[in-house]
Amino acid sequence: MKYKMGRHFEEVEHTADIAIRVWGRDVDELFAHAAHGMACQMADVNAVAPTVEHTVELEAYDAETLLVSWLGELLYLGERDGCIFTEFDMLEVTPNRLRAVVRGGPVFEHRTHIKAVTFSDLEIVDTDAGYETTIVFDV
Amino acid sequence: MVQKSDFRRIDKYTWELPKDVRGDMRVPARLFADAELFDTAFRDRTVEQLTNTTTLPGIVKYAMALPDFHQGYGFPIGGVAAMRADSGVISPGGVGYDINCGVRLLGTHLEQEEIAPYMENLTTALYRSCPSGVGGKGRVRVSKRELEQLVTEGARWALKQGLARQDDVAHTEEGGRLAGADPSKLSARAKERGRPQVGSLGAGNHFLEIDAVQEIYDREVAQAFGLRENQVAVQIHCGSRGFGHQVCDDYVKGLQSAVKKYGFQLPDRELVCAPLDSPEGRAYYGAMACAVNYAFVNRQVLAMGAREAFEQVLAGKVGDFDLFQIYDVAHNIAKFEEHEVDGRPMKLCVHRKGATRAFGPGYPGLPADYRDVGQPVLVPGSMGTASYVLVGTQKAMALTFGSTCHGAGRTMSRTQARKTVWGADLREELEGQGIVIRAGSNRGLAEEAPQAYKDVSRVVEVVDGLGIATKVARLEPLAVIKG
Repeated sequence: MKYKMGRHFEEVEHTADIAIRVWGRDVDELFAHAAHGMACQMADVNAVAPTVEHTVELEAYDAETLLVSWLGELLYLGERDGCIFTEFDMLEVTPNRLRAVVRGGPVFEHRTHIKAVTFSDLEIVDTDAGYETTIVFDV
Repeated sequence: MVQKSDFRRIDKYTWELPKDVRGDMRVPARLFADAELFDTAFRDRTVEQLTNTTTLPGIVKYAMALPDFHQGYGFPIGGVAAMRADSGVISPGGVGYDINCGVRLLGTHLEQEEIAPYMENLTTALYRSCPSGVGGKGRVRVSKRELEQLVTEGARWALKQGLARQDDVAHTEEGGRLAGADPSKLSARAKERGRPQVGSLGAGNHFLEIDAVQEIYDREVAQAFGLRENQVAVQIHCGSRGFGHQVCDDYVKGLQSAVKKYGFQLPDRELVCAPLDSPEGRAYYGAMACAVNYAFVNRQVLAMGAREAFEQVLAGKVGDFDLFQIYDVAHNIAKFEEHEVDGRPMKLCVHRKGATRAFGPGYPGLPADYRDVGQPVLVPGSMGTASYVLVGTQKAMALTFGSTCHGAGRTMSRTQARKTVWGADLREELEGQGIVIRAGSNRGLAEEAPQAYKDVSRVVEVVDGLGIATKVARLEPLAVIKG
């Protein structure tokens, strides 16, 4: 994706796991920023050369479930291909459906291993400035 | 928001939150802690998450947090909740993503001094024979069909494959096989992720340790468990790897619509659940039991790796290098058990999330040679600190559905730990104490620094004081292997 101005995400204190608060001016950007924020927990994204590309298509029960599915899909593809995804072209994001092209590459120094994306107090909030959510990762 | 003043102190270590404090509570909540640990419960979201747990349909008696509690997702870690089998629910978030993360303790006939000259080689050999780290492939690769057998039969599959001994299986919770596993309830992705990882430690807080028994508190029970002073032992801490994570993920997502279907009002979406007696609830149980069995086999295969390493390095150098199994316990699990509620026996589904089963003497399900003393409870401390072997008690049956603590419990976030502790310094400090370290990264070391955890001895004093498991032995680390 082409990163726009403004904050993408910040880390939130959590005693045992990892949590990030994510912002996006629209839902597409929120989903891309969430994926970028997750990748930053796992590795230095600047050290990743994108050599792998996948098209991701998902359907889900609601927007929060779609967000968990989206990030979970990236974790799964990353574990399978031994890489981390750092570039996200969001082709379509509706509350129930997502299509995106993602690119990533191998990582030689891992930061934190994320086991899963949780639903812990997960809620996508529509604010005056756009969308906001906080995601807790099980590590 | 629940306040400290809402709690009523029942005795030195028991604090109760009455059920009228929040309108959606179905039962009271109890925190088990000394006064100082009780205060720490209000520094993160432990209390809120514990209170949320009391709202689950069919919950009986009280929801509880054991003294190693801390904020988790859905349930707090150190959380135990029991639901009526006939009318209650099962919650994947109440078990967690690392289904049957647990600990295995292997004893030896060696004294600490006998292996001292070989510690570096022994640790390196263990690091090689027990794969660790992110995305680490396991010692065994299985076909799809073999995986289905493995997750159905658990440790018995390992026994048939020559990857276990009869004693290993007998000395594992549930005999290494939770009944009711149903591979038809697994997603293709769960199976795919499970196949290459059998016999791997993983990363995060998982570890393998060589320990020495430093102190015996209960000689009779220690003898029954095969523990004595100065003895060398091995601990393996890991779970069901990507297989278990996928099972939990599948069902936390899949059950989101079930909550609506059954009309449940939940304060946190991670508490998603389904009636035990429903197609959704039965499907999750069947899949979870598969992951429980996968984790038993995973630790079993790693135990064989540890035996191989001991043989490689110690054969011909010491008399008897055998590793025998003391016990293997689950820390994240939901199980059907019978407990007394309001004076009557009741079939319950006990959720333990970061908690250990602690059955007292005479209870069914214990191996014959431990039946008179009670179940071994394995409580690993944080990296580089003591671990404890406790024994289950009758009091635990009465107070905590036969459950007790599972570890030290974190007090500091990983980010905070990295800001406070420099991994390379910590490595030097541990090595200065004579502990041999093999770790994938200094960053990982820093995140698991002892400073980021509660003092395990303090946690153990609380459960011992309450009588929901009593002290048998304390182990100190000689070598630590981390992903």
